[in-house]
Amino acid sequence: QDTPPPPAALVADSVEVTRDRVLIATGNVEIFQGDTRLRAQGVTYDARNGSLVLTGPILLQDGPDIVVVADQAELSKDLQDGLLIGARVVMNEQLQLAAVEMNRVGGRYTQLYKTAVTSCHVCDSGKAPLWQIRAKRVVHDQQEQQLYFDRAQFRIRNVPVFYLPRLRLPDPTLERASGFLIPSLRTTSQLGTGIIVPYFIKLGDHRDLTLSPYWSARTDTLNFRYRQAFKTGRISFEGAYTRDDLRPGEDRGYLFGEGRFDLERGYVLSFALETTSDDAYLIDYGITDADRLTSELALTRARRDKYIRAAVINFRTLREGEVNKTLPTNVIEATYEQRFFPNQLGGEFRIAANAHGHFRQSGDPNDTNGDGIADGRDVLRLNLEADWHRQWTFRNGLQADFGIGFAADLFHVKQDAFFTDPDSDIVPRTSLTLRYPMVRQGPNGRQLLEPVLQIGATGGSNLNIPNEESTRVEFDEGNLLSLSRFPRPDRRERSATAAIGINWSHFGNEGWDSHLTFGQVIRRRANTDFSDTSGLAGTHSDFLLAGQLKSEGGFSVTGRALFNEKFDVSKAELRGDWAGQRSSFGTSYVWLTADAAEDRPTAVSELTFDGTYKLSNVWTANANWRYDLVDDRAASAGLGIQYVNECVTVDFSVKRRYTSSTSVEPSTNLGFTISLRGFSASNGTERYANSCETKTR
Amino acid sequence: CGFTPVYGPDGVGTQLQNRVLVDEPLTRNGYLITRQLETRLGRTNDAAFALSVTVKTQEVSLAIDADGVIERYNLIGTADYTLINKSTGAIAASGQVESFTGYSATGTPVAALAAERDASERLMVILGDKLVAELQTQASL
Amino acid sequence: QGTNVAFGTIRQDTSQPVEVTADNLSVDQASGTAVFVGNVLIGQGEMRLSAARVKVVYKAQNEGIASLEATGGVTLVSGQDAAEAERADYNIDSGTIVMTGSVLMTQGASALTAERMSVDLKDGTAKMSGRVKTILNTGNN
Repeated sequence: QDTPPPPAALVADSVEVTRDRVLIATGNVEIFQGDTRLRAQGVTYDARNGSLVLTGPILLQDGPDIVVVADQAELSKDLQDGLLIGARVVMNEQLQLAAVEMNRVGGRYTQLYKTAVTSCHVCDSGKAPLWQIRAKRVVHDQQEQQLYFDRAQFRIRNVPVFYLPRLRLPDPTLERASGFLIPSLRTTSQLGTGIIVPYFIKLGDHRDLTLSPYWSARTDTLNFRYRQAFKTGRISFEGAYTRDDLRPGEDRGYLFGEGRFDLERGYVLSFALETTSDDAYLIDYGITDADRLTSELALTRARRDKYIRAAVINFRTLREGEVNKTLPTNVIEATYEQRFFPNQLGGEFRIAANAHGHFRQSGDPNDTNGDGIADGRDVLRLNLEADWHRQWTFRNGLQADFGIGFAADLFHVKQDAFFTDPDSDIVPRTSLTLRYPMVRQGPNGRQLLEPVLQIGATGGSNLNIPNEESTRVEFDEGNLLSLSRFPRPDRRERSATAAIGINWSHFGNEGWDSHLTFGQVIRRRANTDFSDTSGLAGTHSDFLLAGQLKSEGGFSVTGRALFNEKFDVSKAELRGDWAGQRSSFGTSYVWLTADAAEDRPTAVSELTFDGTYKLSNVWTANANWRYDLVDDRAASAGLGIQYVNECVTVDFSVKRRYTSSTSVEPSTNLGFTISLRGFSASNGTERYANSCETKTR
Repeated sequence: CGFTPVYGPDGVGTQLQNRVLVDEPLTRNGYLITRQLETRLGRTNDAAFALSVTVKTQEVSLAIDADGVIERYNLIGTADYTLINKSTGAIAASGQVESFTGYSATGTPVAALAAERDASERLMVILGDKLVAELQTQASL
Repeated sequence: QGTNVAFGTIRQDTSQPVEVTADNLSVDQASGTAVFVGNVLIGQGEMRLSAARVKVVYKAQNEGIASLEATGGVTLVSGQDAAEAERADYNIDSGTIVMTGSVLMTQGASALTAERMSVDLKDGTAKMSGRVKTILNTGNN
C-alpha cells in the first residue's frame, strides 16, 4: 500500500506502560482502524515490533459484513495481518465459519484451518447444525468475495453426505459472479426424471448469460437466458434448444425476447418476441400454457392529454384446428388521441384517429376451409372520431353531461369474394348523461346512492363490411354509458338508446365496504350483431348486476352477472381473495352459456382455487386447482410444500395438467430443489425461524 | 330518507368539482383512468387538491377447455390513490379500489386483441368511477 | 523489569534535592506547609514540574519535603516523555506522582489520554486508567 494505513486508536479502562516500552491495556479494550473494530479483554502492544497480542474473548468487526470471534490472537497494529486461535467468523449475519486457527494476510485473505462452515444457527444445546461443510482449510478472499474449500465434506446433522476435494462458493456479500446456481430436479410423465444445472456467466456489469442444461432419460435440452441493460433501456432473451424422444430427430426449442427503451420526450420503444419450433413444445417443457403467441414492435407515448401508439404485431396460434395461414396473424396499427379544453366554449374536445390493417397469409378470396370467412381476407381501415362534451352541475346536485360529435370510417376489404369494394360513412352522434349522486351518514357507515340516466342517438346505417374485430362484445359497468359497446368501429350501435343505472355503496365503520351496480340498456331497434351471451341483444338488454364486498382485513369478493327477466343467467363471473396472517386464498368462477355466435358450442362453467397456508414458521403449503363443472373434470391441479429456515430452502411441487390434444397429452410434473442459504446475497433480508427453535421446544 | 346530494351547496362533490389535478400519467392505463377521473371531477389548472393514482393490472386465463384452449381472460386491476390538500399538505383521502373485467378469446386473434383493449378501457372506467365514489363519500376536506 | 526508565530517560533518584522557583511564596509554620503561587517550577534531577500553584508539605522536624500538591494545570516533563493534567500529587518517599483530571501523556510520537495516571518514578512505569485512549501510530518511532 502506498499510503500508510490510518493510525489505530485504542481505548481501554486502564493502560500501563512498562519500562521497556510495552503498553498493556486491560478492561473493555477497543481498537479502531479504518472500518475495522476490535474488542478484547486485554491487549499488549509492543511499539518496537508493532504487534498486538490480544487475550480474552476477542471480537473483530471487519467492515459491515464480517465479524470474527476468537479466544486469543496476535495481530499487526493495522489489524490486517495476524493469527487468531479458536476463531469463529460470521459473515453477513448468516454464514458462520468456525476454525481452530485462523490467520489474516494482507487484510485480504483469511485462512482458516480445520473449519466448519454453516449458515444454520448453531444451537446452544450442542446439537450439530442442520447442515455444515467441514474442510481441512478454507481461504476467504475478501476482495474477490469468494470462499475456497480444500478437502470439503458436506454433512447433514453430522452425517457426512458427500466429499469434494475442491469447492468454491461465493461469500454472502457477493451480488454478481459467474458460477453454478442451485440445481433442481424435474420429473414429468413424458420426459422422465431430469436434472437442471444452471450456470451463470457474468459478462461485465451490464450483461449476463445463464446456461441451464437439462438432462433426462428422454431429453437433452440447453436452456439459455441472456440479459443486457443499457443506459435507457434493457433487453432479455430466453430460449432453449432440444433433442428429445417425444419428437425424435427433430430440432425443437423456443425463443422468447422482450425489450424496452425510453427515448426522449416520453416515447417508449418496446418489442416482444415469442416463437417456438412446434405447437406442443411450450407445454411439454412447462414454459407457458399460452395457446397463442404474440410478437410485437411498438412505439408508444402517454401523457395527460395525448396518447400515441404505433405497432406491428404478429400472432401465431398453437391451437389445434386453427391454421395460421387463414387467420389474421399480421397486424399494423396506429393510434393518435388528443384532448383539448377550449376556454370560451368550456368542456372538452376529444379527437381520436385510428389506422389499422390486418392480413391473412393466404391469398384465396373464397371460403375454401368453410369457416364462413374468405381464407385470404385482408382488412384496412381508417377511423376518425371527434366529440365535444361538457358537464354542468346544478345547485340541486344534478350533474348533466352533454356530448355531441361524429365518427368517420373508411373500410377497405381485400381478397374477399363477397366484399369487393370499400365502404365508408360519417356518423353523427349525441348523448346526454344525467347523474344525481346522494350520500347519507347511517348509524354504522356512510352510504352513496347514485341514479344514472343516459339517452343517446347515433346516425348512419350498417356498412357492407364483415364483422372481423367486434365479434366478442361484453356488457359491464365499464361500457354501460358508452354510445357504442362494440370494441371496434367495424360495428356500431345505431338509432336511439337509453341506459339506466343505479350505483349503491356502503362504507361501514368496521371497515366492511359493499358496492352494488344495476344497469340496463333499452334501444329503439335491436342490433342483430350482438350475440345472445353479450347480454345486449334485443331492444331490452339483459339486466346487469355487479357487486363487491371488501373488508380491511384482506377479504374481497367481486362479481358480475347478466340475466333476463326470467332470471336465466347468460353470463356470470366471480372473483374472491382473502389474505390473512398465515394463509391467503384466491378463487374464481365463470359461467358462460353456450353461444354458437361466439364459437362456444357448450356452456362454460369453471371454478378455480389457489391458496397458500403457513403450517408453521418453517413449513408452507400451497395448492391450486381448476375444475370444469360442465365436463365434470379437473383441468389442472397443483400442490407444493416448502421448508424455509435460516439456512436451507427445500421446495417440492407437483402439477397435474389434464388437457390433451393430438399433439399434447396430459402430464404430471414434479419439481424438487434444495438450496443452501447464506451463499449468495440474493437471500433477501427476511428473518426466518432458526433450526434450533423448532427442534428443542 | 336522510340522503343529501353530493353536488348540493355544501356537498363534498361541490368542494372537489374542478379543483382536483390528477398527477401526469405515463402509461396507457394512466391516460385512460386520468381521462375518466377528469371527466367526472372536472379539469383544472390551479388545483386545490392533488390526486396521485397508481394502477396495477394482471391478466389471468380462465375457461381452459379440454384441448387446452384458453377461452376466457380476466383483467384484474387495482388503483391505489392519495388525495392531498395542497394548501395544508394533509391527506384528504387515500385507499385502494379494485375490480376486474372479462373478455372472450374464442374468436380470431384480431377479435381477441380488440376485446382485450376494450376490456382494459372498461376496467379503467370502472376503477375511475369507484375512486370517484370513494372520494365523494370518504374524503374529509 | 529492565533497566532504562520508561517514563523519563534515567532511573529517577527521588532522593535528589527538589528545587522550587515561583513568583511568590507564603509559608504556614503551624501546619508545616508552604504555598508557591505563580509560574511555579519544580526541578528534581531530570524531571521538571510546572504548575500555577504548588503546596509543599514538609515532613515533621524539617527532615525535608513529604509531598507536593500541584494544581491549576500541571505539566510534567522527564526526558522525552511529558504529561499534562489538572492536578498532580507527588509523594517523595513513595516516588509516585498521581496526576488526575484529563491527563494527557506523550511518549515520543504516541500520545495517551486518561482520567487518572500514576507514575512510579522508582521502576519507571506509568499506569493510566479511566477511559484511556491512545493512538498506536504505525510509524516506527
